Amino acid sequence: MEGECFTLLPRVCAVLAAGSSLPDDTSLEKLLDWFSELTTAGVSLVKDCPCLLEFTSTVVNSATSDPCILSFTLKLVGLLASSEDGFIVLQESSVLDLVFNPGHWEKAGHWEDPCVRIGWIQGLRSLLQHTKALCFFVQAGKQCKWRPHESEEHLQHGLIEPLLQLQTDTSLFVASAASQILAHILIFYQPSPSLTHNSMEKNEAADKSTNPSTTDDGRCPFKAETDQSFTTVVMLISEHLKNSLVSGGDAKLHHAQQSLRLLVLLLTRLRPPLRDSLLHAVTDALEELLMTDLTPPLMDVILAAHSSSSSDVRIHRLVSSLLSTKKPTDLLHAAAAFLRRGLHDDVHTAQCARAILLPLHIVTGQLFLDMDPADEDLCSMAAQLQNKSSCISIICTCLTNSPLITVLDPSFLPCSLDVIISSILLMLRLCSGDTLSVSSGCSGAVRNVIGSSKVKKCALEALMSVSSSPGAKAEVIKVFTLLLKYLDDPDSDPTVFHKSYQVLVRWISVCRDPSSIPDQLKQDLLGVVRKRVCDVRWEVRDSTVEFLGRLAAVKVHHTTDTEAQSACEVLPGGSSSITPVLEEALLDPESYVRASAISALAQTQAPGWQQGAALTQERSEFVVRLLDVLSEDTEGFPRRAVVQYFISWFSSSASRSSLLRRSVRSVLSRGSADLDWEVKVHTLELAKLLLDEALSAHSSSTKELGAQCVHPYAVIPQPVYTPHTHTENGEEDTAALLETLVEEGVVSVLLSGLVDCDRPVALKACRLLIVLREALCPPSHTDLGTDRETVAKVSFLLPKSGWALEIIKILKTKNKAEEENAATLRSSNCIDELKLGEGYNKGWDGVSGAGCERMSVCELLSNLGLDERVKILNQSSDHVQNSPLSLLQDILSAGGAHTQPNTQLMQEVIVDCY
Amino acid sequence: MKLYCLSGHPTLPCNVLKFKSTTIMLDCALDTTSVLNYLPLPLVHSPRLSKLPGWISKDGTINLEKELKECAGRLFVDSQPEFCLPEKELLDLSTIDVILISNYHCMMALPYITEHTGFTGTVYATEPTLQIGRLLMEELVKFMERVPKAQSATCWKNKEIQRMLPGPLKDAVEVWTWKRCYSMQEVNSALSKVQLVGYSQKVELFGAVQISPLSSGYSLGSSNWIIQSHHEKVSYVSGSSLLTTHPQPMDQSSLKNSDVLILTGLTQMPTANPDGMLGEFCSNLAMTIRAGGNVLVPCYSSGVIYDLLECLYQFIDSANLGTTPFYFISPVANSSLEFSQIFAEWLCHNKQTKVYLPEPPFPHAELIQTNKLKHYPSIHGDFSSDFKQPCVVFTGHPSLRFGDVVHFMELWGKSNLNTIIFTEPDFSYLDALAPYQPLAMKCVYCPIDTRLNFHQVSKLLKEVQPLHVVCPDQYTQPPPSQSHRSDLMLELQPPPMPYRRCSVLNLPFRRCYERVYILPELANSLVPSELKPGVSVANVSAILHSKDNKHTLQSVPKAAPAPPSKKRKRVVEEPPVGGAPKPLLSGAVPLEPFLATLQKHGITEVKVEETTDGHILHLQAEDTLIQLEEDGTHIVCDNNEPLRTTIRDLVLRFLQKL
Repeated sequence: MEGECFTLLPRVCAVLAAGSSLPDDTSLEKLLDWFSELTTAGVSLVKDCPCLLEFTSTVVNSATSDPCILSFTLKLVGLLASSEDGFIVLQESSVLDLVFNPGHWEKAGHWEDPCVRIGWIQGLRSLLQHTKALCFFVQAGKQCKWRPHESEEHLQHGLIEPLLQLQTDTSLFVASAASQILAHILIFYQPSPSLTHNSMEKNEAADKSTNPSTTDDGRCPFKAETDQSFTTVVMLISEHLKNSLVSGGDAKLHHAQQSLRLLVLLLTRLRPPLRDSLLHAVTDALEELLMTDLTPPLMDVILAAHSSSSSDVRIHRLVSSLLSTKKPTDLLHAAAAFLRRGLHDDVHTAQCARAILLPLHIVTGQLFLDMDPADEDLCSMAAQLQNKSSCISIICTCLTNSPLITVLDPSFLPCSLDVIISSILLMLRLCSGDTLSVSSGCSGAVRNVIGSSKVKKCALEALMSVSSSPGAKAEVIKVFTLLLKYLDDPDSDPTVFHKSYQVLVRWISVCRDPSSIPDQLKQDLLGVVRKRVCDVRWEVRDSTVEFLGRLAAVKVHHTTDTEAQSACEVLPGGSSSITPVLEEALLDPESYVRASAISALAQTQAPGWQQGAALTQERSEFVVRLLDVLSEDTEGFPRRAVVQYFISWFSSSASRSSLLRRSVRSVLSRGSADLDWEVKVHTLELAKLLLDEALSAHSSSTKELGAQCVHPYAVIPQPVYTPHTHTENGEEDTAALLETLVEEGVVSVLLSGLVDCDRPVALKACRLLIVLREALCPPSHTDLGTDRETVAKVSFLLPKSGWALEIIKILKTKNKAEEENAATLRSSNCIDELKLGEGYNKGWDGVSGAGCERMSVCELLSNLGLDERVKILNQSSDHVQNSPLSLLQDILSAGGAHTQPNTQLMQEVIVDCY
Repeated sequence: MKLYCLSGHPTLPCNVLKFKSTTIMLDCALDTTSVLNYLPLPLVHSPRLSKLPGWISKDGTINLEKELKECAGRLFVDSQPEFCLPEKELLDLSTIDVILISNYHCMMALPYITEHTGFTGTVYATEPTLQIGRLLMEELVKFMERVPKAQSATCWKNKEIQRMLPGPLKDAVEVWTWKRCYSMQEVNSALSKVQLVGYSQKVELFGAVQISPLSSGYSLGSSNWIIQSHHEKVSYVSGSSLLTTHPQPMDQSSLKNSDVLILTGLTQMPTANPDGMLGEFCSNLAMTIRAGGNVLVPCYSSGVIYDLLECLYQFIDSANLGTTPFYFISPVANSSLEFSQIFAEWLCHNKQTKVYLPEPPFPHAELIQTNKLKHYPSIHGDFSSDFKQPCVVFTGHPSLRFGDVVHFMELWGKSNLNTIIFTEPDFSYLDALAPYQPLAMKCVYCPIDTRLNFHQVSKLLKEVQPLHVVCPDQYTQPPPSQSHRSDLMLELQPPPMPYRRCSVLNLPFRRCYERVYILPELANSLVPSELKPGVSVANVSAILHSKDNKHTLQSVPKAAPAPPSKKRKRVVEEPPVGGAPKPLLSGAVPLEPFLATLQKHGITEVKVEETTDGHILHLQAEDTLIQLEEDGTHIVCDNNEPLRTTIRDLVLRFLQKL
């Protein structure tokens, strides 16, 4: 296809250069993407597509080009010059000097257009991949006087000056791109840490010969040639950053913000000598800026500086002034950012912990921080908390970050951990309107948090996070009581219910010993669960059912030497009290709830499966009910959950009961005929388990699947394709295995999946069929004697209806293509039979039923062209539309339509637009 | 302007407003919480209740065995239940001109006021209020009359004896004013005095004020009232709701610019969100039915029950309750369900449009059609043969002291499978259950009160911005049980004026203006002269004629030509014959020119002293003072009349005459 594209390219270039209209806005970007892909793949565009050079010089020299085409050309030139060869060619043709000369575009009146400026920047960004480019970048100004109105002095340093100016461009995109490229230059060309100056010089020649552009980590391996240029660039950028950070008016502020963002980029990625010198250059300016106003980028810069060189006294001082800001919200955010970065030092960590806990201290009135009531920070924070909108956001920030404190070394903590936990609990009580426990809290703030779902959720999240902290176990009863209250509160938002259940599950797992929970609480929990499963809101019912499932899945240990016990024991009656509730939920009008109920039931029954417990009458009836759901439920979610249930049962059961075998067969036939593609994918997953079992291969992906908790209506993740090898044990009864797979319906599920119109289904089926073929059907050229014969005799009854017709069609097409080579193809007789519809081949020992064809499984598998099919299926469904060829053809058609506006094509394009 | 507060109950108001020359009663609600002190009236003989021990004081001196019975440690009066009436002694109720009713819950004391106080005025209410109010009164009367009690307990009310009784009887107030229920005849007579009004209809009261009901969004036909004169506006807000339930939404904008806003009937359950409670109601109901138990819902026969049924209509299928029967038992059940469907114009927009489909506005019609909901006048008759369990029963009275609910309490109280769900917020559920203790059935309290909560009312008041707010004392402080909840009270600037039972408030606003009409011919005769741009004045000589609180200026009849006879018989009746009125002066005396003029007239020794209001000129030689002030000029001149006249004339030169 590539060759065809290259043939079209000259015409496309002509169309573009003529300024014809394009099929859509993204065409040029797609074209560039294709060129980038080619470059990355090692194609030399300059050599293979000379028309591009022609195109660039035409556009660059034309005065009337469209800005979009200009921008594209700028980017293209950068791309062409990203390799040294291309660079040399372009420089020799003097296109490079002209293209990257802003003066040229200014004169032509194009520089005003932001898309030209961004094209210039991005072109430059592509270009700057090798030493020559850097030299060009620095030298360019000296060679051509592109800004006649500027003094010579300004022209000394090549393109760096205009680039620095663009960093404060009116267009945010241009400004951001300029910052990005500045960062790129410093990071890409910075000296390697492992190599000394001399050794780098020595290695230079060798490097050049192999890959002259970059090393694996994307940085430039050169030094000597670039040394001078790089030093100049570093000096100029440092100077620029320093100047732009000096406070001034509004315009200056905008400039400073841009520079701060650039600094963050640099500080996180530059290595020591360069980073230190840069830091040294800007520290004074940062200090000054900190005195005026604290902005998030400034905070990021200081913290980035601190994480890179925490021992520097001046940086230490900067962090200290950052953490002594007088604005309560800024202080809170700074403290949170400090701790979130995992920065710790003796002074600041404790300070941050206090700052984060301060709102909790004020609102709850717990007064756990040793603070003077007249303290300035305390008073200003209390004032902020009186305001409803700021109060909620402050408390949420405080709660979200409080778990960071619980993992700190106790020496940094201003109070004990249990105090923090009880403050969070108190906050939750306040949110639900229980103010009796507050003695000296800030009443205005308390008023603001009452009933706030946002605060409730944050506090619950915090409570969940602190469950693993050392003091947590002692608080279990309190947490339980509170969560029960939350679950009983009719005014709680469904999301709060959901969160409360999650927290409860977490704390139950912390508790380890369910018997330590008072019976009354257990009884209350059961009452609440029974009530919530009848809730008017389906979200609440769903969360409740899901909770019961999770509870069943959580294992708790009394002590290390006792056997794990299900957390269901926290409910009176254990899992037996849950099952009726969940079975009731199977009748829920909301499909999500039904699906969750099925999934939860699977989790409650899993221990029985693992222990190989005998099947009861109720369990058998329940399986029948599930199969009914699979065939009758109108929604996809419960049906998916049913297949998932059988997957769990099959993968975790210790023994294969006849009920399980029977029902799996039933699930396979019903699931593969489902209308929902995800049900089909799940069914194929079940088929895969059977396949794996039959092949006695312990697929890692299957095990993972059985172990992980898959959401009842989530799509199963794509398993890794691992072809099975033909094992010795397998050879002995390969035929019998294949026979079993045919009997169990696995083969027909896979075949029906193969011709499914949904790509994920077909792909999965195709992969599994390949696995089957590789494992059980030996290639025809190997001589395995009688075994091979036996395997080949295993036949399959292919019905002449539905999906099977599609299979027959494939076989026919394949046969037609290979007709001439029929002698070498053993199955040609079979294909002929099918074509003629006369029955079966004499070499086959099967018989055909009414309207069915019996054929050898191995032959079938080898004739379906599975390998080609998997390749096609692996491509995305729109790969044809998105191919470069299609793109080029579109551009040509649009260009053609443009020149002949009355053609049918033009009308089509217009129609397409609507 | 005065407000007489005859009830202290914030949601059962009864106030009297004296405004201009009118006396207006705002609602006359009946406080029925007094019935909680009485024993329930069982429809079927209850051995349990009849065996309760009587009360004798510990020292044996007082024996009230027949009047007071003891149950689970509490005393109950064994008598026909009595209600606490609005205060009758605070003012003469016969002077009341009109009674404005805001909703059917706030009119239950009407017969006590209209029939026994000499009331001769008119009662104003909307049609649904009248019709549903009649149903509720009829139900109440039937509940009482169905179980007649011969005796009427009065001994316990004796102050000396009451003091000896244990609480809460001991703390009951105004027990002597408690009255037995009225009769149907009294109800009919009282309701015959009702005049129907529609929303925004303006009714003139004696020409003095205009009253107008506004939709309040709480119940069918519920209203707030605007009472206004030409220059003053009083709003009466009672039982309003901003939630989207069945009634027409609340009209808030018409409440703007009130001088006084009287605020009553906020939610009794500020911490219970109606939506949450409705959800809780449904969950508990489903949970009980699934476990094989029955659900009893003590409720009024109109109001929230419509919303409950609508909610259940949607919930029944989702909770798999399709086969569970729902019974609604009340003497007025049928009328209530049917009435609700015909008051289309009083319903919310959504329900109104259904009428044109045509579809019944409320889905309970469909529940009845599909036999899921059945209604009966009482437990006797058809009900007993149709009755199937497990089931859900809606029946009254929410106090659990009378009505069919008493029977179900006796029937189901012993099993813990059954549940009683309280939805009406008017009675404390623990007090209501007290005479049924010990009780095995589960009790769930889901009070559904859709009236405004404090958050909503603060927002409303911020928008309508009344100058003064008057409200029950209870709204100015947090509820006693939640004393830290400062969000559960009204915080306004200026602070609201609180009232209690028997308070008489002088409303803090003074009437400054009165509208006077002028007849065209008189107006025609006026000759205005412009004082300053935009301000013209004219002298009017006229007769002020006042009738029906309307004031009119009429021309003075011309003096009749002198009668030929010299005899004047009826001098007194002669219209006053005034000469031409003296001209009115306006303007100010400018100091400098005035001094110059004085000098011209030979007054030279003038000492000018500046004061806060103007100047004092001391004519030293003449020993005379001239006080020139913004609104007056005084010449103090002893015994020198010519000088005074001269100065006066000089002053007059500078002034304009009208």
